[in-house]
Amino acid sequence: MRAPAPGSLSTHCATRLFALAGVLLTTGCAQITMGPPQPTVENTQALRGSPLAPAQVGVFTLEAGKPAAMDRSHALRGANSVQSPIQGSFAQYLRESLVVELDAAGLLRPDAQTVITGTLLHSAVDPAMGTGTASLQARFVVTRSGQPRYAKELGARAEWESSFMAAVAVPLAAAHYKGLYRQLVGQLVSDPDFRRALAP
Amino acid sequence: MPSHSASWLASTARALLLASCGLFLGGCASVYVDTATRDIPAADIQPPAAPAPARFTFEFQTQGAPNAQATQLLAAQVRAQVAASGLFQELRDTAGDGGWLQVTLNNVPITKDAAQQGFVTGLTFGLAGSAVTDGYICTVSYLPPAGGAAVVASARHAIHTTLGNASAPAEAVKAQNMEDAVRTMVHQVLAHALRDLSREPRFQQP
Repeated sequence: MRAPAPGSLSTHCATRLFALAGVLLTTGCAQITMGPPQPTVENTQALRGSPLAPAQVGVFTLEAGKPAAMDRSHALRGANSVQSPIQGSFAQYLRESLVVELDAAGLLRPDAQTVITGTLLHSAVDPAMGTGTASLQARFVVTRSGQPRYAKELGARAEWESSFMAAVAVPLAAAHYKGLYRQLVGQLVSDPDFRRALAP
Repeated sequence: MPSHSASWLASTARALLLASCGLFLGGCASVYVDTATRDIPAADIQPPAAPAPARFTFEFQTQGAPNAQATQLLAAQVRAQVAASGLFQELRDTAGDGGWLQVTLNNVPITKDAAQQGFVTGLTFGLAGSAVTDGYICTVSYLPPAGGAAVVASARHAIHTTLGNASAPAEAVKAQNMEDAVRTMVHQVLAHALRDLSREPRFQQP
């Protein structure tokens, strides 16, 4: 993700386009539901880079002991919040993010012997005035016929220039947070160890 | 003072200026589409001998982050323009036989000289004072059905906004409003990217 740069002016266009779309948040309270995960050419290309066996996507859960609220919603400056459209769960959003990528690459098969599971370890987003930050961390496990082949914790982080205006900062923070899921799945599918685990 | 703090203070001051001028209401802002990237003749885009169907996806991004609202606003326009280009037999929403065309339009901050970064041909006007410039990078990525690396082409564009009595930029065309400016910019920058894609040998013979 792009780090904030001196003299950045990008918030102006974000302001206008969000305004065009009617997202003004002028009432001071908005619940933003992220759009459904979409596959990307980049991740599909990575998955097609070498022969991989089809896989099914198993259970994704929140790490035991973590507060349930971390999986449901993140507050963005007071009463505003961002939520997942997949069962109201960020862990399920991560699962779906992987599902759409595998499906786009022709590697998703419900009865495959290779199973990918995941655990959401950390999730946060903060549209603070000045610099906004978001971070996501998960543990992915791959088994084949019940035998472990891969287990690794991966993380993604974003940092951006964050306006003092909530009408700009809140939707931009939600957008950056959503982008982390694509980024995290991209790390997974590009990981050589993961690719070896999915090798035929 | 750290440069980032200074930057943010400057940005905040601009945001206050925009807010106080009532930009949302279109009260005192003038919007200009840069002329470095202009309309091109449709004949410049060279369809393959046998256009194939393709999956089509589009995403507007702000600083690389997906912007669902702007995506929704512009998706129909982008799809219609790609369909009219003749590069594909059919555009599909789901995976299937054929390739995959992904169009992204990224609104990026212009932090240095816009000309140096390739967004404009020359110095249309300074970024100081009550004028701002937004940069856009349109990237079209075509993933051939046979596999292999994606065929990628991109183009750049810019929109300038002035407030109050600021002078108009020299190399830009005034738009009626922001939406008009954005739609014009999208049409022009996408045409350039599609033209360059159509000239790629791997696209013509996947």
